[in-house]
Amino acid sequence: MNTLKILLRNLVRGPSTVPFPFAPAWTPERMRGRIEFKLSSCTGCRACEQVCAPGAIRFDKTPEGLRFMMWHNTCVFCGLCEFYCPTDAIRNGNDWHMAHAVGEKYGMAIRETIPYVACTACGMKALASAPNPAGVKPPFTPEEIEQQRNLCPACRKKALAERGVQP
Amino acid sequence: MSNFTIPVGPLHVALEEPMYFRIDVQGETVEHVNITAGHVHRGVEYLITKRNVFQNVVLTERICSLCSNSHPQAYSMAIEQIAGIKVPPRAEYLRAIADEIKRVASHLFNVGILAHLVGFESMFMHVMEVRERMQDIKETIFGNRMDIGANTIGGVRYDIDPASIGYLREQLDALLPDVEEIIKIYNTDASILRRTKGIGVLSYDEAIDCGVIGPVARAAGVNYDVRVKAPYAAYDRLEVPVHTLKDGDVWSRAMIRLMEARTAIDLIRQCLDTLPGGPTVATEERPAIPPGEAIAKCEAPRGELIYYVRMTDSPKPERVKWRVPSFPNWDALGIMLKKAKVSDIAIIVNSIDPCISCTER
Ligand code: SF4
Ligand code: SF4
Repeated sequence: MNTLKILLRNLVRGPSTVPFPFAPAWTPERMRGRIEFKLSSCTGCRACEQVCAPGAIRFDKTPEGLRFMMWHNTCVFCGLCEFYCPTDAIRNGNDWHMAHAVGEKYGMAIRETIPYVACTACGMKALASAPNPAGVKPPFTPEEIEQQRNLCPACRKKALAERGVQP
Repeated sequence: MSNFTIPVGPLHVALEEPMYFRIDVQGETVEHVNITAGHVHRGVEYLITKRNVFQNVVLTERICSLCSNSHPQAYSMAIEQIAGIKVPPRAEYLRAIADEIKRVASHLFNVGILAHLVGFESMFMHVMEVRERMQDIKETIFGNRMDIGANTIGGVRYDIDPASIGYLREQLDALLPDVEEIIKIYNTDASILRRTKGIGVLSYDEAIDCGVIGPVARAAGVNYDVRVKAPYAAYDRLEVPVHTLKDGDVWSRAMIRLMEARTAIDLIRQCLDTLPGGPTVATEERPAIPPGEAIAKCEAPRGELIYYVRMTDSPKPERVKWRVPSFPNWDALGIMLKKAKVSDIAIIVNSIDPCISCTER
């Protein structure tokens, strides 16, 4: 009897499935999907590479700089890189439309390079990575981030000390 | 009547997980059961020693999908013990919420499969549809339907704001009447009762002998629940009723799971009512883990899950060993299947809610 009631109710309510792919499927905001990477925020700390369990993230030193490489097909969408990234440079977006033809598989990656620049203070070759915001109070302004980006590690420290932060 | 030896499995005994039984039958009555394991051994205990402490939070989560919150939770608790990390109170509550959300989904799944094995397909569909609400909660609050990624060393990786608390409450309010209704049906429906009452009985003494745990033990009257006996996360501050039944049959095990699902909804509400403020992790950065060893346990949906972790100077654990609830429970299948009818084998196997991928790892 109870079951019949449920059956009738479900009949009246109509289907509870989504007609995907003929209509869009509901996707929550927080759904962990395709990795998004923002080069300009990356500090090159490589925390994401170290915590990534399947090894989807790799950094290589190239003549041009520090190359970031991330393979979408190796990622397990765990969100650990996002959690440990100090600047939100890497995060899981909520895009899950990742089916692709086999021929496109080598394109399913992010390849970007943090370039070397000459330090604007001392001229030494240095990586133009974003500064690490951890423990910096008050937080960096966008101008300060750009200024820090073009300094070598030693000159960054000096600039931070002048700003009143002991790193 | 003649004797036969029939193979059951390794594919599709109850769930689509490989488990192989060689069953000697007399007519259609089971005389002897031989269980062969190892079809889904993936070498996770080895893999875990090849990855660092933080990567292993993710690896342990992928040992099994239905207890996928309990593994990283017990693992993180062991590491926190070694490193002497104190988990902030808010994180403890959030851990309990994650645990209970997973419990509701896991229990409803098992009870749904029971209806499927009984041949009551419309009930199976209905239970799975009710469970879908939990899946939506997981996807909305955590970002994934199974591997919710709630835990990390020193706390949790997610937080809930007033909007998501509102959403969670709303969903729980809608879920509770559905669960109550399912409980009523499993209590009264003739086709379910006929196939589950007095089937696959494990008495109290046998339950103690086999050392079974979780809903299987509680259905046989063993009052044991890690959340009460050795509280972790926020469970020492919550009121956790332990459900037990006397009969130890398939029906009792299903009822225990349903009652625990209802209790879990109440526990989540308790957590939301008393959720303290403050940080959700002990440290923002990755903490240093000194050498040492520790044991931690938690109540997974299938029962007590124990983790042993040993760290040396390396960032990778030297040894991680876990005892999963399905291991002792599966041993009791020999007793439950004795004198059972061939047609009840799948129902009995499903009633211990076996997790082969945890057990064989
Ligand atoms: S989400 Fe997980 S698996 Fe994917 S890149 Fe980040 S750390 Fe690696
Ligand atoms: S800043 Fe973020 S993305 Fe860049 S290396 Fe560090 S963790 Fe990875």
